[in-house]
Amino acid sequence: MLHGALLGSPHAHARIKSYDVSAARAAPGVHCVLTGEDFGDHRMGAFIKDEHAIAKGKVRYVGEPVAAVAAETEAQARAAARLVEVEYEELPAVLTPEEALAPGAALVHAELASYFKVFEAVCGGNVCSRTELAEGDVEQGFRESDLVVEGRYRTQPQAHVSLEPCGALAEVDAAGRVTLWSANQSVFRVQANVCESLGLPMSRLRCLTPRVGAGFGNKMEAHVQPIVVKLALATGRPVKLVLSREEDFEIVRARHPFDLRVRTGVKRDGTFVAREVEVLLDGGAYADDSPGVLGYSLLMARGPYRIPHARCRGTLVYTNKLRFGAFRGFGNPQVSFATETQIDEIAAQLGIDPVEIRRKNALGADDRWFGGQALASNGLRECIDVAERESGWPARGAIRAAPGKRRAMGFACTAHIGGLLGTGAIVRMLEDGTVVLNTGAVDIGQGSDTVLTQIVAEALRLPLEQVSVASPDTDGSPYNWGTTASRVTYTTGRAVLAAAREVERQAKAHAAEMLECAEADLELLPGGVVGVKGVPGKTLPFVAISARAHWRKGGPIVGTHTWVFDQPTVDPKRAVAVGLPFPQIGVYSFGALAVEVEVDETTGKVAVLRAWTVADVGRAINRAAVEGQLEGAFAQGLGFALAEELVFDGPRLVNPTLMDYKVPTSLEVPYALHAHIVEHAEPDGPFGAKGVGEIGINVVAAAIANAVAAATGARLRELPLTAERVLGGLLQREAEAG
Amino acid sequence: MSALARLHRPATVEEAVRLLAGGDGERTRLLAGGATLVAMLNAGLVDPAELVSLAAVDELRGIGTLPDGGLRIGAMTRHRETAADVRLAGTLAVLREAAARIANPVVRNMGTIGGSISFADPAADYPPALVAADAAVEIAGPQGRRRVPAREFFVDWYATALGPNEMVTAILLAPRAPGLGSYDKLYRVAGDYAIVSVALSVAWRDGACARAGLAVGGCGPRPLHLDEADELLRAGRLGAQAARRAGELLAAAADPLDDVRASAAYRRRVIPRMVERALAAARDELSRTA
Amino acid sequence: MSTPYPLALQVNGAEHRLEAALGDTLLTVLRDALALTGAKRGCNQGVCGACTVLADGEPVRACLTLAHECAGREIVTIEGAAGRAQALQEAFVETGAVQCGFCSPGMILTAAAMLERTPRPSADEVRAGLSGNLCRCSGYRKIVDAVLRAAETGAP
Repeated sequence: MLHGALLGSPHAHARIKSYDVSAARAAPGVHCVLTGEDFGDHRMGAFIKDEHAIAKGKVRYVGEPVAAVAAETEAQARAAARLVEVEYEELPAVLTPEEALAPGAALVHAELASYFKVFEAVCGGNVCSRTELAEGDVEQGFRESDLVVEGRYRTQPQAHVSLEPCGALAEVDAAGRVTLWSANQSVFRVQANVCESLGLPMSRLRCLTPRVGAGFGNKMEAHVQPIVVKLALATGRPVKLVLSREEDFEIVRARHPFDLRVRTGVKRDGTFVAREVEVLLDGGAYADDSPGVLGYSLLMARGPYRIPHARCRGTLVYTNKLRFGAFRGFGNPQVSFATETQIDEIAAQLGIDPVEIRRKNALGADDRWFGGQALASNGLRECIDVAERESGWPARGAIRAAPGKRRAMGFACTAHIGGLLGTGAIVRMLEDGTVVLNTGAVDIGQGSDTVLTQIVAEALRLPLEQVSVASPDTDGSPYNWGTTASRVTYTTGRAVLAAAREVERQAKAHAAEMLECAEADLELLPGGVVGVKGVPGKTLPFVAISARAHWRKGGPIVGTHTWVFDQPTVDPKRAVAVGLPFPQIGVYSFGALAVEVEVDETTGKVAVLRAWTVADVGRAINRAAVEGQLEGAFAQGLGFALAEELVFDGPRLVNPTLMDYKVPTSLEVPYALHAHIVEHAEPDGPFGAKGVGEIGINVVAAAIANAVAAATGARLRELPLTAERVLGGLLQREAEAG
Repeated sequence: MSALARLHRPATVEEAVRLLAGGDGERTRLLAGGATLVAMLNAGLVDPAELVSLAAVDELRGIGTLPDGGLRIGAMTRHRETAADVRLAGTLAVLREAAARIANPVVRNMGTIGGSISFADPAADYPPALVAADAAVEIAGPQGRRRVPAREFFVDWYATALGPNEMVTAILLAPRAPGLGSYDKLYRVAGDYAIVSVALSVAWRDGACARAGLAVGGCGPRPLHLDEADELLRAGRLGAQAARRAGELLAAAADPLDDVRASAAYRRRVIPRMVERALAAARDELSRTA
Repeated sequence: MSTPYPLALQVNGAEHRLEAALGDTLLTVLRDALALTGAKRGCNQGVCGACTVLADGEPVRACLTLAHECAGREIVTIEGAAGRAQALQEAFVETGAVQCGFCSPGMILTAAAMLERTPRPSADEVRAGLSGNLCRCSGYRKIVDAVLRAAETGAP
């Protein structure tokens, strides 16, 4: 096996004039050196196909891979990569959305108009996508309002920090077909990205997934897979490349920084009337999932509330920085930080309790989501009730802080979709009556293998240990868009349940013939047995049925089901949408969060002491896994709220290490982290289940900011809430108070 | 690719110094606990040809009591041992508290006091604590042994008073006096280097302050310390006014940078606040124990 | 240049004779030479804790330890988990403390050494004891619960 290594661009924006790979090629152990010249003009991209497998013609951010080496050892590969010489002609770089939108700004993608786009993108210049979603008459709404509150908010780039850095291993067989193992969230997105960017027929690439050390969005689209496949094709040898932590920070993707302007109009009694939102997103050098993040953030910008008049618009801009992309929450944490803290400002100005104003405006069972989609299940009000009750919110006035500290609670509400696109399942009964499930869904640690196994076991009344899950494999698995959008339990679970039902149907058809009775008279009994209803002893084990199917009649029992989420996001009679890339999106989960924080008066440092995170997940198929998602999302949100930030000095990321980029430890996340599950069954969800992967992160920053504001009187509109910012706010309030 | 060609394991300090002197200058490095040096090796930030491991030098291990009642902390003493040593009490408690705040339990099990101070990161925990406690650093070199006060040992960003082919062999502490030591650290998340740290060592006898040592970490090229501030605190018996003045003096003397942890302006703002808090806590403790 | 030198390592109760360059870390040797991939490379800088193994019963960062410095030390990796570490593995599974699992080997070995010293820790002691092992999935709550559960079960 050979080892791969990359050479990154030293420039944010430059034309590549020439390469000299002679020294690298001559270095010890080197088998192959590739540059953009070795790659055809093929581009990949989930929404806009704007990205080559490796920089070709020019570089667009610092660190962008410009050359790749395969050598006998990793050390040799890394040493040789540094010997590749690239002659650049530096171009002016645009490092912020403002710079990129300025007249005469250098273009990150001069050929943008010619790129293939999977949706009706409104784009041009450095604008990658412009999206608008509106309902009602927002001007009229503000005229009808008694109070209008507005604010500008900023959020920071956050890194995923999946503990396992991205990596891939590719091998070419004698016929030239490639097998690719990689850390990913979708073998099918890997296949599509590699094949698009290398110009390979999809049938020539098989993608597999070993266990994955978490994803959170950064392994959904391509990372090093296209380059590794190309190295394997070029050398005819297996090639492995695992990014260092620094490279993983510098060249994969991160959460978008948002610049938001939010304006909300309300009646004196706290009734929400109008909301206007304008967001500006730094998308970095490639579109990646950014158009989706923009569109989704706007869809979430009205929050889980009745606001009859709303207009939300956003602009996504190319800059010469690392691409920003999918990250748990997908734009919702950023927009919710603004909207959910603004609601507290409104509540304060009106003298209404923050929970009360949310309850008053919460979407109810008959309400629709922004855009017009009906909500088949909605447990929001119960979530609010549970968070309020469990946290002791009404008694929070009695909270006392130690000298030098301040304590207070904060609250926020949220919703999130789970769904999107196609998925399938194959449930096979083996000769011995045990069952193998194959969905192609990648378990990135959230526990979907367990949950999907439980669905099959429940449907077929089998013990869990008689159901196994096949590893995702583009050769053998049905299509699965991926482990993203909080979707696997809901979408794949539905497919799994339907496929299991098909297995039941086939098994009963066999049993009816074997027992000489009507299929309708049969039932599944625990332990993999079909029996005649009401006739004890008249039973057949799966093994007998499966043997007959395999060896004598009918053929092996295989249940399959595929489907695609097809409910429209927007009802054109209710809403206007432009440039929204999600015509069909998903079903809604709801949540509420209460937190208690302590602020240190000396330094401004914030500690979260307790938290109650509540979500309506339809039906919790595995309670521990649901709690694990809520708790883990809370911790990641706590990092976003208080500490995490990718810091750029000009074009260069200055903290691409875990020394300098800090994620919460066991001492930052409170042990008093209470996850509560609310179950309002989604009628078409598997056993009523809907998504939970992301919802727990959405309003962590907002709830903490609300608590900090309650503790200090300081309303902070920029994340993270560092000790520095909080102390600044605290001292400013003290100065104002004289 | 590492050019490392020799890994020596001397048994004595003298042998270690000889190996250092016989090596190729910067290309020969001492290896203590590895917590910093191996991370730098991994990242390609250093490329030594020879390493001199101190793991087998018995003399460098552990904490011993000196004839005068003072303590000698061998350079290879792990942070975990220092954090757990009950002899580091009274005026010397500052050192134990600082040791307990370094990184995390696993790194404290590896990292050594000699390695840490030789690297001399001014945001690290030991430097201000040693300065506050007025410790001395024992150094061995080709010319034999010498002692340097901690207050003179740290000379600049990642730079010490160690000369060519010299190494730290121990930290020397005067006998502990009644009083207290404290170490307060402001950080982003547990285990991070300090944004600002405040180390305090106070000798207190018969209701009077015999000696005060105050140092601030994370706010410039070396631990921030002013004799004038110490004297103010002593003369003012750690009073609130003296504390405020000392904090202001230190803030004015600070030379912090903007970095990923915080801005320089914030550090200047926080120094007097943390100093005042440390002294208020000290007054409390002394009044309780008096 | 990266010449390999012979090295005898005691790992999980067995002696392994192999060759390693002087700059090779214990982590590299465990993973690449001995195929003991339970110790994970998350940062190679000693921060994440995913590579934590036991050396003479004490937790160390395999990524910060040179392999040649380990001669004569008894190394235990998650593959050699026995006694407390094994009880911890079971408690992790039962409590739902494992999500992606990348941090779990380091967590479990760190916790095993902690329980050796503090057999009945409080939740806060566990939090402090594990503060050098990052988990990005769980929020730590269930990990702390798993360690408390293993502690309740007592030393095997």
